[in-house]
Amino acid sequence: MSDSQQTQRQHRIQTETTGSDQPPETTSGETVEETKDEWVEYDFRGAAKMVAEDLDVYYGDDHALKRVSMEIPEESVTALIGPSGCGKSTYLRCLNRMNDRINAARVEGSVQLDGKEIYQDGVNLVELRKRVGMVFQSPNPFPKSIQDNISYGPRKHGDIDTGLLARVLGRDDGDAERELVERALKQAALWDEVHDRLDDNALGLSGGQQQRLCIARCLSVDPEVILMDEPASALDPIATSKIEDLIEELAEEYTVVIVTHNMQQAARISDQTAVFLTGGKLVEYDETDKIFENPESQRVEDYITGKFG
Amino acid sequence: MPRDEFQQSLADLRAEVLSMSDLVGDRLDRALTALETLDEAAARDVIDGDDAVDRRYLELESTCIQLLAQQQPVAGDLRFVAASFKILTDLERVADLAVNLAQYTLEADRKRFEQVDLSSIGDLAREMLDDAMIAYRTDDAALCRAVAARDDELDSLCQRASDRVVRNLIEREVADGDGWAVEQLLDDVSRLLLIVRDLERIGDHAVNVAARTLYMIESDPELV
Repeated sequence: MSDSQQTQRQHRIQTETTGSDQPPETTSGETVEETKDEWVEYDFRGAAKMVAEDLDVYYGDDHALKRVSMEIPEESVTALIGPSGCGKSTYLRCLNRMNDRINAARVEGSVQLDGKEIYQDGVNLVELRKRVGMVFQSPNPFPKSIQDNISYGPRKHGDIDTGLLARVLGRDDGDAERELVERALKQAALWDEVHDRLDDNALGLSGGQQQRLCIARCLSVDPEVILMDEPASALDPIATSKIEDLIEELAEEYTVVIVTHNMQQAARISDQTAVFLTGGKLVEYDETDKIFENPESQRVEDYITGKFG
Repeated sequence: MPRDEFQQSLADLRAEVLSMSDLVGDRLDRALTALETLDEAAARDVIDGDDAVDRRYLELESTCIQLLAQQQPVAGDLRFVAASFKILTDLERVADLAVNLAQYTLEADRKRFEQVDLSSIGDLAREMLDDAMIAYRTDDAALCRAVAARDDELDSLCQRASDRVVRNLIEREVADGDGWAVEQLLDDVSRLLLIVRDLERIGDHAVNVAARTLYMIESDPELV
C-alpha cells in the first residue's frame, strides 16, 4: 500500500496480453495466467480523485477481481463496462467499501481517495460513504415523503437539525432544510416535477423520478464521488435520457463512476471507459472516444463489437 | 459468432461498395475511350447511365445510415461503415466527372492538341482508383499509401499538359479577322484545360478513397 502512495500518478492502459510469456507466480503460488503487466501511460484530463492499486477481491475461493490498478480522474464520468461476472460491480463497490458488507468478501490491495488509503484501520465508513455516495440499479427511495428522503442523510450526519429539541430551543434548521432539499432536487433535475408535492410519498413517483430522487438523496450529503451501478437499466428511454443528461451535468462538479451494460450509454456519457473482461481483469482503460473508435486490445474490440460476450 | 446478421450486413456492404466501384470504373473507362475516339454514342451512354450510379449511391448511403442507426457499430466496424460512407461519395463524384468527360466529347467536333497525352493521364487516374478499391477490398494499408504517393505523379502530368496547351496557344498564330477560328480555339483550349482538371480530380478522389481506407484499416488519419 505504501508503494502506491509513492507511485507517480499514472493513467494506464493494459496492453493486449499475449500469453506468450511465462505466467508469473504470486507469493501464494497461484498462477496468474496471461497477465502481462505492460502498461502504456496515458494522461487523462483531470487529477486523480481515486486510485486503486493492485486490487484483488475474493468471494470465498472465487477470485473476482485480479490485480486491478486504475485511477479515476476528478470531475469526469468514468464508465466500467464488461460482460456479466467480469468484476466491474465488484470494483465499483470497492471504491466505498461496500464489499465490507459481504462476509465472504476479502479485499487486498489499495484504494485511495485524495491520496488517503481507504482500506486501513480507523477509516470512518459512514464518513467514507458520505464522500463516496452510491446509486443503485433499482430506485430504492425510503417509504417516506420526497422531502424526508432528501433530508434524511443530512439529519443523520447532523448537518441539519429540525427535531423537537431544536425547535424548542429556537435552533430549528427548517429554512436550511428547505434550501437543501430544493438544491438537491434541482441538481437532480427533479425540482420542477415535484416542488408542489414535497410531502407526497416518494413511492408514488415514477421509476425515472424515483431514480432521480435517489440521486438527489445521494447529493444531499454533499458527496465528492458518485458511484452508479447501472442506474438507468430499469428505466424507459426517456427516463434514461434524463438520467444521462444529469450524469453529464453532475460531472462538472462531482467525480462520477458508472457501471453499465449499455455500451452506447458508456459511449454517450463517459469521458473514459474501463473494459473488464471475464476473469475479473481490467483489460483496457482509455478515453472513451479511443475505446469505441480504436481500442488497443483485440479482445476489447471483439467484446464491444459484439463478436464475443 | 454473435451478431452474425450484423457481420453479414457489413460483408454485404463491402461487396456493394465494390460493385458500385466496378460500375463507376466502367463509366470512367467508357468516358475515357469516348474522349480518345470522339465516340459520341459512347459519350451519350455515359451521360445517360449516370442516373443509375446516383440511384446506387443513394441506396448504399441509406444502407450505411441504417447500419449506424440500428446496429450502432463501434471500433473497427464503425470505422468500416464510416469509411464506406465517405468512399461512396467519392465514387459518385468520379461518376460525375466521367459525365463531364463525356460532355466534353460531345462538344468537341474534332481533335486538337494531339500532342497533349490525355490518355496516359486518364490511365494513371484510373489505375489509382483501381488500386484504392483493391486496398479497400483487401485491407491493404501499404497500397493506400502507394496510391497517395502516385498523386504527385498525376499532378505533375496534369501540370505539364496544361502548360503545353497554354504554350501552344501563345505560339499559335490566328489569321487576322478570323473571329470564328479564335472562338473555336478558345473553346478547345478551355475544354482541354477542364478535361485535365477533371482527370486530376479523379486522382484526388482516388486518394480520398485510399485515405478513408487507411483510416478504416489502421485508424490512421495520416492521409485524410
